[in-house]
Amino acid sequence: MPRLPYSLLWKARAVDHLLPPLVKQCRDVHAAQNELRWLRAHADTLSRPNSKAHDGLLRKMVEQRSTGMPLQYILGTEFFGDLEIKCRPGVLIPRQETAASVTYLAQLLQRAKNLPSQLHVMDLCTGTGCIPLLFQHELHAARRDIQVYCLGVDISTKALDLAKSNLRKLQKTEPAIVPNLMKFMRADILKEPDNDVPSVLPSLKAALELNRKPKQWDILISNPPYISPSAYWKTTTRSVRGFEPKLALVPKAELGGTDTEQGDAFYPRLLATAVEIDAKVVLFEVADLDQAVRVAHLARKTNAFDGIEIWRDQPDQDDLEQVPENISKDRSCFPIIGAGNGRSVLLYRGVGASWLGMPAPMQGTLEQQQVSL
Amino acid sequence: MPPLPYLLRLRLARYARTSLCSNSCLYNALPPVRTLFATPPSLAKQLPPRRVVLDSEIEENFLKGSGPGGQKINKTSSAVQLKHLPTGIVVKCQETRSRTQNRKLARQILGERIEELELGEQSRTHIKAREKSKKKSSADKKKRRKYRALEEDRKAMEGEVDDNEPIEEGESQIMKGEHIGEGKIHAPG
Ligand SMILES: C[S@@+](CC[C@H](N)C(=O)[O-])C[C@H]1O[C@@H](n2cnc3c(N)ncnc32)[C@H](O)[C@@H]1O
Repeated sequence: MPRLPYSLLWKARAVDHLLPPLVKQCRDVHAAQNELRWLRAHADTLSRPNSKAHDGLLRKMVEQRSTGMPLQYILGTEFFGDLEIKCRPGVLIPRQETAASVTYLAQLLQRAKNLPSQLHVMDLCTGTGCIPLLFQHELHAARRDIQVYCLGVDISTKALDLAKSNLRKLQKTEPAIVPNLMKFMRADILKEPDNDVPSVLPSLKAALELNRKPKQWDILISNPPYISPSAYWKTTTRSVRGFEPKLALVPKAELGGTDTEQGDAFYPRLLATAVEIDAKVVLFEVADLDQAVRVAHLARKTNAFDGIEIWRDQPDQDDLEQVPENISKDRSCFPIIGAGNGRSVLLYRGVGASWLGMPAPMQGTLEQQQVSL
Repeated sequence: MPPLPYLLRLRLARYARTSLCSNSCLYNALPPVRTLFATPPSLAKQLPPRRVVLDSEIEENFLKGSGPGGQKINKTSSAVQLKHLPTGIVVKCQETRSRTQNRKLARQILGERIEELELGEQSRTHIKAREKSKKKSSADKKKRRKYRALEEDRKAMEGEVDDNEPIEEGESQIMKGEHIGEGKIHAPG
């Protein structure tokens, strides 16, 4: 990284003596000013402004931030759509791109005429619980006639504790969040259901039985770890590597295979789960367009879905992006929706198509799709 | 007429969906942000109605920069930039940490800018600014008096000069006003 010019740091110092360390971290004066404003506002809530304690607190937070600690861990929250989600070290910070996909999915479903009166939604790898919380908030606020029953699953007890604490916090302020209809459960979603020996860490199937949860789920969402070991070193920022849990980002190494296969390791099991629980609509987050296409191909191979789409970061925006050559040349390409980087894969089948406002599925839809391309 | 290709049909269906549900009703139907935009009732009577900007007239950009997103980076920026296509006005908002909130704020700021252009002296912002400058001149006098008294108290109590740089009035005001050197945005008053 190039060094920042001294003049910039001087300019920053003239504005506020706490600004230069933040400028070094953000590499941008405006961004640093924003962060300082938010940190100061946070300090204001913890101590009396202009007191010694306040000064010390703010100084300490700026120091933490200058080591690369994510602002969200220092402030203790991050915004996810309209919701302010609690964050803690040890649990991945929710990303805005995830919120955009989840919001868009909820918006598509809002207008469905034939949703079941209780919609079952499963979120695998739930982390802070941000996905089911936002999904219920968005859908139930618009559709009071639909009960949105959500189950979030994670392997990490730290994550599950935080998810439950987020539920307790948000149920107080958000009328569309219904605590009775929001559950969190521990399971290892990579564990094959068959060779499951009863243990502390059950497979998803065993955990569903154990906790007397339904076997059938209408909607499956997941933002699983999807970064390959080499991409972890090459493409993640230092703040991510240094402070966020690797368990949440990189599928564990014992899974084997090439580097790319390791990055993709969760998707085969997620697809199998989608079929097992009979999900009608499925949304998986991915790292980029290449991974999206790989996952879409895997999904097509299952023959279980009537429709497959790839969504970009902002699925609600017009597509101004060029599709890279290697993908557009691929004759079996999938519809790519929105603007930004490739971000998620949407699958639907049976009645799911009509929930989403898609053309009704026909026998052999996929073949027709290819012919007309 | 030959049937439309599948992809085109899908896209048309989607445009119909998007324009119906994702934007217009979400932002325009929402009540204004109370904390920042509350207008005293007396003033509200003199104001023309707020200019509503249609989402079809806007190009929205989240200024995410290039490079990867998702799990690979944890951004703290939630900046939103809007371009009003008919007039070319651009506003940017990074007031809050919440992108949804910034989107709403940006739309209101844009509405004000367009209105200023259309109504000039009769626009809400101009009326409010006139009202504010009247009030401010009297409030400023009071505030200066109070600050002086506070400062004297503090010095008397500590009996020494702090080695931390005291935050001067001017500086702290800049921090509250935000966005230095960014003429396009300002904290709406
Ligand atoms: C990328 S994070 C996603 C968190 C959250 N859904 C979000 O979008 O912010 C992935 C999550 O998967 C969990 N996880 C990792 N391996 C798992 C496994 N084998 N079974 C279940 N959850 C797992 C991690 O604990 C982490 O919380």
